[in-house]
Amino acid sequence: DDPGDDDIHEFSKRDLPEHACKYCGIHNPACIVRCNVPSCRKWFCNSRGNTSGSHIVNHLVRAKHKEVCLHKDSPLGETILECYNCGCRNVFLLGFIPAKSESVVVLLCREPCLSVNGLKDMNWDLSSWLPLIDDRCFLEWLVKVPSEQEQLRARQISAQQINKVEELWKTSPDATLEDLEKPGVDDEPQPVALKYEDAYQYQNVFGPLVKLEADYDKMMKESQSKDNITVRWDIGLNKKRVAYFVFPKEDNELRLVPGDELRLRYPGDSTHSAWQSVGHVIKLTAQEEVALELRASQGVPTDVNHNFSVDFVWKSTSFDRMQAAMKTFAVDETSVSGYIYHRLLGHEVELQTVRNTLPRRFGAPGLPELNASQVYAVKSVLQKPVSLIQGPPGTGKTVTSAAIVYHLAKQGQGQVLVCAPSNVAVDQLAEKISATGLKVVRLCAKSREAVSSPVEHLTLHYQVRHLDTSDKSELHKLQLLKDEQGELSSADEKKYKALKRATEREIAQSADVICCTCVGAGDPRLSNFRFRQVLIDESTQATEPECSIPLVLGCKQVVLVGDHCQLGPVIMCKKAARAGLSQSLFERLVLLGVKPIRLQVQYRMHPCLSEFPSNSFYEGTLQNGVTMHQRLSQGIDFPWPVPNRPMFFYVQMGQEEISASGTSYLNRTESANVEKIVTTFLKSGVNPSQIGVITPYEGQRAYIVNHMARNGSLRQQLYKEIEVASVDSFQGREKDYIILSCVRSNEHQGIGFLNDPRRLNVALTRARYGIVILGNPKVLSKQPLWNSLLTHYKEHECLVEGALNNLKQSMVQFQKPKKIYN
Amino acid sequence: EEHIKMKQKKVVEVDPAEAEEFERELRALMQESIDSRKLEMRARPTLNMMIPMNLFEGSKDHGRITDGESGDEVPDEQGGNSVRFRVLVKKGNKQQTKQLYIPRDSSLVQSTKQKEAAELEE
Ligand SMILES: [Zn+2]
Ligand SMILES: [Zn+2]
Ligand SMILES: [Zn+2]
Repeated sequence: DDPGDDDIHEFSKRDLPEHACKYCGIHNPACIVRCNVPSCRKWFCNSRGNTSGSHIVNHLVRAKHKEVCLHKDSPLGETILECYNCGCRNVFLLGFIPAKSESVVVLLCREPCLSVNGLKDMNWDLSSWLPLIDDRCFLEWLVKVPSEQEQLRARQISAQQINKVEELWKTSPDATLEDLEKPGVDDEPQPVALKYEDAYQYQNVFGPLVKLEADYDKMMKESQSKDNITVRWDIGLNKKRVAYFVFPKEDNELRLVPGDELRLRYPGDSTHSAWQSVGHVIKLTAQEEVALELRASQGVPTDVNHNFSVDFVWKSTSFDRMQAAMKTFAVDETSVSGYIYHRLLGHEVELQTVRNTLPRRFGAPGLPELNASQVYAVKSVLQKPVSLIQGPPGTGKTVTSAAIVYHLAKQGQGQVLVCAPSNVAVDQLAEKISATGLKVVRLCAKSREAVSSPVEHLTLHYQVRHLDTSDKSELHKLQLLKDEQGELSSADEKKYKALKRATEREIAQSADVICCTCVGAGDPRLSNFRFRQVLIDESTQATEPECSIPLVLGCKQVVLVGDHCQLGPVIMCKKAARAGLSQSLFERLVLLGVKPIRLQVQYRMHPCLSEFPSNSFYEGTLQNGVTMHQRLSQGIDFPWPVPNRPMFFYVQMGQEEISASGTSYLNRTESANVEKIVTTFLKSGVNPSQIGVITPYEGQRAYIVNHMARNGSLRQQLYKEIEVASVDSFQGREKDYIILSCVRSNEHQGIGFLNDPRRLNVALTRARYGIVILGNPKVLSKQPLWNSLLTHYKEHECLVEGALNNLKQSMVQFQKPKKIYN
Repeated sequence: EEHIKMKQKKVVEVDPAEAEEFERELRALMQESIDSRKLEMRARPTLNMMIPMNLFEGSKDHGRITDGESGDEVPDEQGGNSVRFRVLVKKGNKQQTKQLYIPRDSSLVQSTKQKEAAELEE
């Protein structure tokens, strides 16, 4: 995500006010006092928290400070507490005395004023002297004790932490509590927890993990410079220069995505001076070419094609937004409702229901009829402030989500925010929600405005350009001018930006629903928006900090949709992953006892393909919404070993190899057989677009693409149209026929990626009509889940070997599964 | 207004050793404060403790209607009653009063009320 150059103040992070209690953050003016020692001047509250004395008394005692001042907005106004008679400011000596007849009190010091003889004759009742500090707390009617709710939402500081931070302040007065917990350089990060005392602790755990991931991401991306790149030039519809080139990837770690920023460089030669320009990836072609739209069109050496270099331009935006969201969660009590605050932190609160009149029907216009489990999901969600919906593969979670959003929007609670970690998911959902007739605005990162989208008409930038009212003609004129000339005079540019911003705001405000990625919810263009109702799709693929970005905009009701039995978020940094950054909020809430509402009818897979996943991942609850007959491929003559059972496990004994890059694996025999299966499918009348080849390894993916191109016996073009992808990138998608190449085949190294049951679940649930799995049963059977998959195939006489046109039952022996995954 | 019920009321566990140590430090600080004043203030301060009645009268005349009078009882947030008092403070050499609510059951209020009652009886 790119904030664009006109959003300089993107991260004006929310901070606690200066007068917040330095221990716990409470900042109600009636509850706090300032230490009046000139070198200190810190504020503290009058709550005891977890200690025997109140925070202010704790501070005064630990620091041996003795003077205080009330806040200007407190009932007494800005007042230094001092003896009315002698001006002594030592709070440990001060107390109130009442007048004998009037309802008047004054502060008087115990020594010496209280014991001065002359006072006795006057109008004051010295016998009723009441010390200012009573029971280790300031008099509660002078400095209020914060309410229970305020205290629960504040930072939970312990006596030990107080002692430590007071010690630290003696040498560095500006230190914060966070400084106490900063891990050393080589320390393992603190792992994630199930429950958190408060949002500060939450931030203290996740902040360092996000930083680790950011540092790793930066290091990796910036080391991806490539030389000797060959470029071909083109001009986009918007008249901007586009460079096409192949950006070779050596392993499966870095995946370029549209919106990424790259720098293209030319070193110069005898007729050209050195040149460079930054641009955004606008698409990746089927031929694995990157299309880079350049920011500047001037001086581009379009008559040269060779010897370019490409660097990755790393942006911290998404990580900054996560950090900012966690901070907001901690310091801004309006960021989420109190209920959501405590639920997210795992505190035990009495369950709340949302009081709403429920709609008479739970479907929505423009959407297919809902089935029973979908209706149940919509109905329950509308009544709960926090809900989880688990959508196993093909169970219609997008339609269900759209129906939920429709009903949320009809409740008149303001605009609904709809997010997902990936742009693809956001687009799909935006389209479905728009079909219900709601007014949808799809907010895209500025860096992605040139990326084509199936819901372009819903995007904010499109709507700004096409808003057809006369009072926008000024903006349109400037826009045209900018498009033609490439830039505007600085006065016009200023005017253009102001007009554009106002129009964006106007359009966004008039929408019923705003759709964007989780990171996009931190866009400055939404900074003044509040969303009480938030739905996050694919939430099991987002990290917690990512999920928190859309939540801290005022959330009172949250719906998390996902499936924790499929793959979770991708974390590059192993250290951060080990510490638990890869666990989604959805998963943690499940562990905390929130029961997900499961959608139970799948409409994707042939019933015999859904059987094993249903039993192994969903306790057998997955029902089939499609019949065998609906998944019978008419006129396709493919050698399935058991007719009417379009699946088989094709036994492969070829060895695995390490790929050229040294970071991945390939398997030549499997590749050769993948090509044969593809060819057989094509010959039997299947279209290339119906087939997907998936494999866990990038090395194998690349090898299969090459192998089919070189060795396929049919027309080259047919093989080019076949999608060959990683299992992970296929999550959320489907094909009629899936060929899964397992690759791993070794005696002792184990099966790596294949160990993750969630990856197996994803791999097995992509096909609608049929699946072929290629792998080595001897190796795979060591893992219990694979062992039961192999047993399942064997029992159904679908474990086969031999030539494709003469498949035979395989008698290969399985190994005993090891109890623990390695 | 949002009301959240925590399932388990938070039980604050204060480490007794910590509490004791804190109490000791607090007492030490008090004692030290008293002792140092005793030494410092050999010469007794002059007394200037007259109640400036004019301040009250002035405020009674010009006070806003909602202000009410000192000594009025009003219900407080905790469900008890509070009594409206004035605190006398000095800003430089100027005297000022500020309004303050003190719970009825505070010893300060009790004392004043008793005195008032006694005066009334006379
Ligand atoms: Zn201090
Ligand atoms: Zn505090
Ligand atoms: Zn005094």
